[in-house]
Amino acid sequence: MNNSLIQVENVAKRYRLGTIGTGSLKADMMDWWNRKVRNKKDRFQEITEEDKDPNGYIWALQDISFEIREGEVLGIIGRNGAGKSTLLKILSRVTRPTRGRIRGRGRIASLLEVGTGFHEELTGRENIFLNGNILGMNNREIRSRFEEILEFSGVQKYIDTPVKRYSSGMYVRLAFAVAAHLDPEILIVDEVLAVGDAEFQKKCLGKMKDVSEREGRTVLFVSHNMQAVQNLCSRAILLQSGRIVSTGEPRQVIAHYLHSGRKYDLLQQWSTPGEAPGNQHIRIRRVEIQPMPAEPGGPVDIRTPLLVSFEFWNLDPLHLCIGLQLLTLGGECIFDVSSPSVLLQQGIACGECLIPGNFLNDGAYSISLFFVKDTSILLYSHEECLSIEVADYRENVSWFGKWEGYVRPDFPVLLQMKLPQNPAS
Amino acid sequence: MPSPEIPVPAWEINPSSGWLDLRIRGSWHYKDLVLRLVRRDFLVSYRQTVLGPIWLILQPLLTTLTYIVIFSKVAGISTDGLPAMPFYLAGILVWNFFSECMPAVSSTFSSNAAIFGKVYFPRLVVPVAAVVSQLLRFTIQLGLFFPVLLYYTLYRRTIHPNLLMLAFPLLIVILAGIALGTGLILSVLTAKYRDLNNLIYFGLRLMMFVTPVIYPLSIVPSGIRFWVRINPLTPLTEAFRYAFLGKGQFSWGYLAYSFICMAVILFAGIALFNRMEDQAMDVL
Repeated sequence: MNNSLIQVENVAKRYRLGTIGTGSLKADMMDWWNRKVRNKKDRFQEITEEDKDPNGYIWALQDISFEIREGEVLGIIGRNGAGKSTLLKILSRVTRPTRGRIRGRGRIASLLEVGTGFHEELTGRENIFLNGNILGMNNREIRSRFEEILEFSGVQKYIDTPVKRYSSGMYVRLAFAVAAHLDPEILIVDEVLAVGDAEFQKKCLGKMKDVSEREGRTVLFVSHNMQAVQNLCSRAILLQSGRIVSTGEPRQVIAHYLHSGRKYDLLQQWSTPGEAPGNQHIRIRRVEIQPMPAEPGGPVDIRTPLLVSFEFWNLDPLHLCIGLQLLTLGGECIFDVSSPSVLLQQGIACGECLIPGNFLNDGAYSISLFFVKDTSILLYSHEECLSIEVADYRENVSWFGKWEGYVRPDFPVLLQMKLPQNPAS
Repeated sequence: MPSPEIPVPAWEINPSSGWLDLRIRGSWHYKDLVLRLVRRDFLVSYRQTVLGPIWLILQPLLTTLTYIVIFSKVAGISTDGLPAMPFYLAGILVWNFFSECMPAVSSTFSSNAAIFGKVYFPRLVVPVAAVVSQLLRFTIQLGLFFPVLLYYTLYRRTIHPNLLMLAFPLLIVILAGIALGTGLILSVLTAKYRDLNNLIYFGLRLMMFVTPVIYPLSIVPSGIRFWVRINPLTPLTEAFRYAFLGKGQFSWGYLAYSFICMAVILFAGIALFNRMEDQAMDVL
């Protein structure tokens, strides 16, 4: 068992919503007067028990205990607002915990610091030194790595140009180059992978792999990118609402995360036409998306077929066809399919559409239904009624950036030798 | 399974910092950063200006000329029998140093919120760099002061520099200490109460009137003399004039008063800053 580098013990962090203090001098002085002079209770008293005053405070973290061992790559995952950033801020000493303590040894550098202190007016060279100094390197250390930093950043030609003339890509590359050459014992890598172009992302992940595998350095990796976490990390922690809910093998922790994440709207149903949405022609009875994973309870990823089914009360006998649209959360339509036009009697009608696996790209989607009479008259639309998140899945791919495209069909792409070069000729 | 205790825990993060837990040992590591911030300050100040650092000399010179016309010629305020030019210049140099240093320190949190929110380093580095940067400016401005001194000493023979000049670095240290201490206290307060920012410049202007910049201490009427005398900047200005120009009210005892004020303010400033730096960050 490797030695422990950092021990986090019962760390909790409380933030006050709004500002600390009442925000104005007068109110604070009144408080002080009431508290000290008239000996009354402070209305913002230090809270000892579980959040007794929910209208002023939020606990961003509670009871966080874990350790980071030498040489491991520890992944931290969780939704936005789960407390990942707060935890990183505490570890990088930007803010202090409200309770608990952290002990450790070695220099911690974090890539959430990318570009901190960069000054627009200064040249790339000046900024490398400024940024390096801010990140805790001294001039000697920076000078000894200057060439490497320059090469990694790929902005050699513009090194003596003020960075305000840089493109945003160049800016980020230069900033990342400094941070990547810090040589810390513990490297914290945050969501920075989201910035920059694909090639650069690859370089960053490569650097991270280098640092952990070749140099045996310890890495703390925080990401939304499950694929990257699974491939790079030796252990993972899942944060949820400021607490650790799962620790262990990345695969299991990720499964837990994806499972718990299914808070999406997969089903809507109504028991009587009176309360159901619709009009004098149509009342919706049920709409549902059923993921059909290979193993029951498995994650919904790009391989999973999705069955969209619906039932409605048909109030008039008419020729009806149903249109179904799949949209991104941004509202762009990915496809629009339609049933044939069918003569329907009064009563309950139903239908379904199977979206095959290995077709959609990863992302969150919503579904809209359209009820069309005589193939031309829109009777009713039930828009963006269901939504689902499709997770990423990759095999035999060592690239973890965002896969482009709205769809990701599994068309075969062939590659073979056409004319082998004969070594003899 | 928790592994055994970390063999040598090199650092520990706790809920609150002490009042005077200065981490001096760690801070030395950041001397390069102090110098880098000073350098940045200079590079950035004079980018895209025509005259660049010449402004450092031009600014006190123009102020001095203005004061000569307004206070000496028009208002006829006494210059203690000294020629107006070195009299005002001495006062302005001392006052300018303080009045630029103090706000530079007090804006520590507001102007560095972005950096402080992301990277840890001893926060004291920033105000210290601000003071060093102002000291450098002051030194450059002395380059203007000395020719004026030489002219009036050797050619006009109207001023009489004396050995107290050797104590000049001490005067500057006390002055810088007061500026740093006051700035640190105000930096914490303004981080918490933004409205105090407006008061700082108003307070500085008031303070200038109770500092013998445009008048000598000797002509201050007894009614307000008390206020001028308890101002710890007064002995410094007077001693500065006495050392270089030969006139002014100087005594070691009075200078010691200034020194004690400096020590108290600086101590309080550092303690408060140290104690509150983390909390201030959560507010920003």
